[in-house]
Amino acid sequence: MSLIGYYTRKTYTICKEEVLVLPGRVAVGVFFLTVLLLPLFSQSPYLLRVMVLSSIFAIFAASWDLLSGFTGQMNFGHALFFGVGAYSTALLNIHAHLPPWASIPLGALAAVITGLVVGIPCLRLRGTYLALTTLAFPIIVLGIVFAIPDVTGGELGLSGLSRLTGTRLWDYYLTVIVMLAVCSIMWKIANSNTGIIFHAIREDEVAVRASGINTTRYKLMAFCLSGFFAGISGGLYAHFMRIAGPSTLEVSMSFTVVIWAVFGGIVTIYGPVGAVFILFPLLEFLRFWPEYRTLAFAIVILLILLYMPEGLFPYLRDKIETECPRCKIRNVATRKTCRICTAPLE
Amino acid sequence: MKREVLFGCVCFALCLLMVSALPGWASDSIKVGVIGPMNFVQGKGHWNGATMAAEEINGKGGVQVGKKKMKIELVKADSNEFLNVTDATNAMERIITHDKVDLIVGGFRTEAVLAMQDIAMDYKKIFIGCGAAHPELCTRVAKDYGRYKYFFRGTPFNSQFLVKTCFIQMATVGAILKQTLGIPAVKVAIVAEKAIWVDPMIEAAKGFIPKMGMELVGIWRPSQTATDVTPEISAVQGSGAHMIFTVFSASVGITFARQAGELKVPAVQVGINVEAQKDGFWDATKGMGNYVMTMNTYCRGVEANELTAPFVEGYVKRFGETPTYTADTYTFLVHGLVPAVEKAGTLDAEKLIPIMEERQFKTPAGTIKYMKDEQGRHLHDLTWGPGFLTSLGVQWQDGKMVGVWPNKWKAAEGAPEITYKGMVPYKVPPWVIQAYKK
Repeated sequence: MSLIGYYTRKTYTICKEEVLVLPGRVAVGVFFLTVLLLPLFSQSPYLLRVMVLSSIFAIFAASWDLLSGFTGQMNFGHALFFGVGAYSTALLNIHAHLPPWASIPLGALAAVITGLVVGIPCLRLRGTYLALTTLAFPIIVLGIVFAIPDVTGGELGLSGLSRLTGTRLWDYYLTVIVMLAVCSIMWKIANSNTGIIFHAIREDEVAVRASGINTTRYKLMAFCLSGFFAGISGGLYAHFMRIAGPSTLEVSMSFTVVIWAVFGGIVTIYGPVGAVFILFPLLEFLRFWPEYRTLAFAIVILLILLYMPEGLFPYLRDKIETECPRCKIRNVATRKTCRICTAPLE
Repeated sequence: MKREVLFGCVCFALCLLMVSALPGWASDSIKVGVIGPMNFVQGKGHWNGATMAAEEINGKGGVQVGKKKMKIELVKADSNEFLNVTDATNAMERIITHDKVDLIVGGFRTEAVLAMQDIAMDYKKIFIGCGAAHPELCTRVAKDYGRYKYFFRGTPFNSQFLVKTCFIQMATVGAILKQTLGIPAVKVAIVAEKAIWVDPMIEAAKGFIPKMGMELVGIWRPSQTATDVTPEISAVQGSGAHMIFTVFSASVGITFARQAGELKVPAVQVGINVEAQKDGFWDATKGMGNYVMTMNTYCRGVEANELTAPFVEGYVKRFGETPTYTADTYTFLVHGLVPAVEKAGTLDAEKLIPIMEERQFKTPAGTIKYMKDEQGRHLHDLTWGPGFLTSLGVQWQDGKMVGVWPNKWKAAEGAPEITYKGMVPYKVPPWVIQAYKK
């Protein structure tokens, strides 16, 4: 009983001292609560479908940010990991009859191997050259998909996969909880020592190497981690849609993830996640205006990026929070002095 | 002032939210969801066909469902399936759960239709596929009837029959060439766009051309959007081909026809050229597409039965163009749905399906009868062949698209000849005759 009391007090203290002091953290908390409690207010299958797909794509977008945002390895072919995850999961489910809880992690491991296969030849490339090379990989895999239709289903893809769970509500909770967990893990990685090295590689790889850090290993690690998380999203997608088709590897899929990440703000993890939860439902909302739906969507993105070039969420965060010039701790924008070191926040 | 503007914006946003969030009003109407790529010609065909059907049915007072007379109400859903399969599935879920449609017509891209089919089956809604030709959609019905029985193919007949029809038309033209040019064997060149869907057709053609007593002289694969195909045309000319089997779905169909016409290549063009199915082909090729032949569904002046002309002419009058096959949403709604619902006296899918399975009915494109597979299982696929659906072979002759096949076509030895009303004889281009006739 005293243990429960201890943890309750600890949670309360953390909430009071660490979460409630910053509007950004409060917003994240509200987001967690909203997605977890949404079915209490509406269980519309259509709404839940949009939220399930938003959760899946949020993982996908955050995984791109981990690789391209944090490490600076500009990947324009991220659909490769998504597609490999989706196809591997589908193959394991259809031929080995593995249930989703087994096929999805194994599909993600296949995406990790793909990450290695792509990462090794790309190690010597940077910037535009790397971007263009990565763009080619999903197209190569798409060629393989069409070359062996007996295995991959060709243009039809692989259909008839098992359902993720028995009901839409459980699909929702599964994908939302996986999304919250996976994105929290990615955020934790980005803020760990490994994340600092990822940052440093993006800023100045030579300096990192001069510090005795094996950048090759870290870059490969970034490819594998990003591949793993994108593979999970691909696997979830395949089981939810009950089909893994060539569209999962299309160039448009690779570019969509870049749009989401840039819209939300790269090098944040939460930015791409938030962007997906705004843009994906927005596209659905615009169905009342079918002729101009895509145009209106594009205009929204252009306007945001025109006035908020760093992305929507970093812009909003900078409006409501300020960084202490001395200790670099973030404070609510209304404070005059830092909450930790009491330095003036002007 | 700023506060007023802000208030106005909030009110506008709330109005939009309400408009989009409100489900369709429940009324005495049959709600038909029309789903397709609405920003593309295929989706426009879906919508135009359904619109024409709804106007016609409602103009006659509606559908007699038991003791009630119900009007047709259409719900449009843009599937955006060429660009985004996920979007297509969302659109399908939305029209079923939010707009609460009674049944759905449409769909085009096979991958998207497979995913949409699953959603419609989850909700046990009748879904009439009006675009995708792949047999798998109907094979699913036979394999798992309990789940997939709500799916029916509306148009076109499946791709295996499509290929078969192409070869029959090729053999017909081959016989005419042999007779007209006095050649012992017809040499065939295949010119097909670089696209995945074409590959199985080429493989099939490689096997069938020798079986038809013709000689295959080469295969050329220009890009779908090529703006210059003179190298391919020169190579075809060099190969001595008498016939070019074309498989084009994109703009290369115009380029190839125009340049081959300009160079007066001594070979006839037969096969599929989607651009040549359109009314604007003559102008697009500046008249150089003369004598090009392609498969098609409808052609002004050609009648498969007494229903064809009223539909085609009505469509042209209403929309200013000849209908494409996706406009067969009209066919299903007018000739398929209404009589079945009136017979069943209900919209209950479980009662409608057995009636739809057993019905045989005339449509503007031919007679529809749903097939069974070799094991006698329901496929809900369209029967192809004499007396049923056959499609047409059309040729451009001096600025006009005319029907040339089926014209005295015998499906088998001893079978009766089939000729649709309005057919004219196939014409061999004069420069081809000049090049080969001794």
